[in-house]
Amino acid sequence: MSAVPTAPPPRPAGRWARLGWHWRHDPKIELWIMWWAMFCFYQLFGVVFALMTRVMPPPKPWWGQARIVQWFSDNHDGLLWGFGICFLISGLVASCNALIGYSMRRMSVSRAFPYAYIAIYSLSTLPGMLLAAILLTVGAMRPDRDPAILSWIYDAAFMTFVGTMGVFLVGTAIWMLAILLDRNRVFPLWFGYLNICNLLTEVVVAPVWIFQEGPFAWNGVITFWVDTLVFVVYTAAFITLLRRLVLREDFGEGVLPDLAAPSAGRA
Amino acid sequence: MRKIDGEIILFWTLPFLALSWLLVFLFFPGFSPPMSPTMSAEEVAAFYRDPQNLPRIRYSLIVFNWFGIGIVAFLTLIMMQMRRMAHRTPVLAYCYLGCSTGGPVLFFIADLFWLLAAFRPERDPQLTLLFNDLAWISFTGQVGFMVGQCVFLALAIFLDRQHKPVFPAWVAHFNLAVALAIAPAAFVATALEGPLAWNGLLSFWVRNGAIGLWLVVMTGVMGRTLYRQRGEEAAA
Repeated sequence: MSAVPTAPPPRPAGRWARLGWHWRHDPKIELWIMWWAMFCFYQLFGVVFALMTRVMPPPKPWWGQARIVQWFSDNHDGLLWGFGICFLISGLVASCNALIGYSMRRMSVSRAFPYAYIAIYSLSTLPGMLLAAILLTVGAMRPDRDPAILSWIYDAAFMTFVGTMGVFLVGTAIWMLAILLDRNRVFPLWFGYLNICNLLTEVVVAPVWIFQEGPFAWNGVITFWVDTLVFVVYTAAFITLLRRLVLREDFGEGVLPDLAAPSAGRA
Repeated sequence: MRKIDGEIILFWTLPFLALSWLLVFLFFPGFSPPMSPTMSAEEVAAFYRDPQNLPRIRYSLIVFNWFGIGIVAFLTLIMMQMRRMAHRTPVLAYCYLGCSTGGPVLFFIADLFWLLAAFRPERDPQLTLLFNDLAWISFTGQVGFMVGQCVFLALAIFLDRQHKPVFPAWVAHFNLAVALAIAPAAFVATALEGPLAWNGLLSFWVRNGAIGLWLVVMTGVMGRTLYRQRGEEAAA
């Protein structure tokens, strides 16, 4: 590259040519890679956990050993291949954390916020996702295992998956505090308050450690369905808002500019 | 006299770290030959009860418990080089740091379950089988953070568009090849026999070979880079 930056050539028309242009000339390419990695991660997360492994919505916490053995054998291939995908893509979690950390770096708050968020969410992957995936994989790989042990694996997997609370509680609180303190208007105020909803789901979910059936069990109307609804809304909101953040980013220091009104030609 | 250079000290711990990994690999009886996933609960229990195996299992895994995590220091040195690259944002370095906290802790979990299996080998064989399965799946299948690291580093090198890039482009290609070689191990649990099984060609030999090769090649790359940079700074 020459020392004097030259204006990038105009964006070409074709899809692949345009991708190449972004790779070579888009100053925001690093942020776009992070955003797409995050977008793909949540899509794959949904496919693996809801469609392939049938972990969401979760099976019943009150099942006896014979039913649990049957659940493992019914979902044998889905669990093993689905969690294989999950193991393969777990590195993508880092790009979600990096982009969210970057959003806090762009705010008028201390660097302590992005670092704390990235540290907490990096460690959360293990109890919040991978431990459950490892346990259920081990359960599914030997359908002839002692049913009492399969039943323990089942409990351990769903309790760590649903009942890991603190890392998400504190992590969300840090992001929320940063948004509410920020003067650079990186996020709208309503999203700061939406963080409270997500944070409260981690409080609401606590009874799964006590109840084996009813609305507060790990598959309960409140602890699973309401919490999952909030999680989906919250995730969709931040994926959309982070996309706007990348579009608005000016690599400056002060208030993040608003999006220019979309020009007529863009649609 | 020259000032003490912390990064150079961290770098020179790496050959000792690699040596400790090699020793663990050679002395842990579960690796030579790698245990078969088709072993019955009784056979697995007998492996841990064998008085020839037991001390070697314990001592090798204690060493791995000490030094398995040591790789984090080296990964941080790589991240420091990523911060020197001509990027506009630190996001790729954040990704690298995030992965380097996630990956090695899974080594630790595997080590924990192997040591637990060896702690009371007279336990019900079904429980020993469970600990052994948990250890092998955590050790072999958890490649996502390593794959992520290799890909994030490769992207960072490709995007390091300056007159004298920090790492040459072949390092990016090498990291992508390593990512490709270790990726199939994610599906280790889908087969108890064949190349994907945890003692198979892809999940054991290719994966661990690629990790070993990565360690050797990246040590060379880092050493050259660190000394070149210090030479340039001294000349400037």
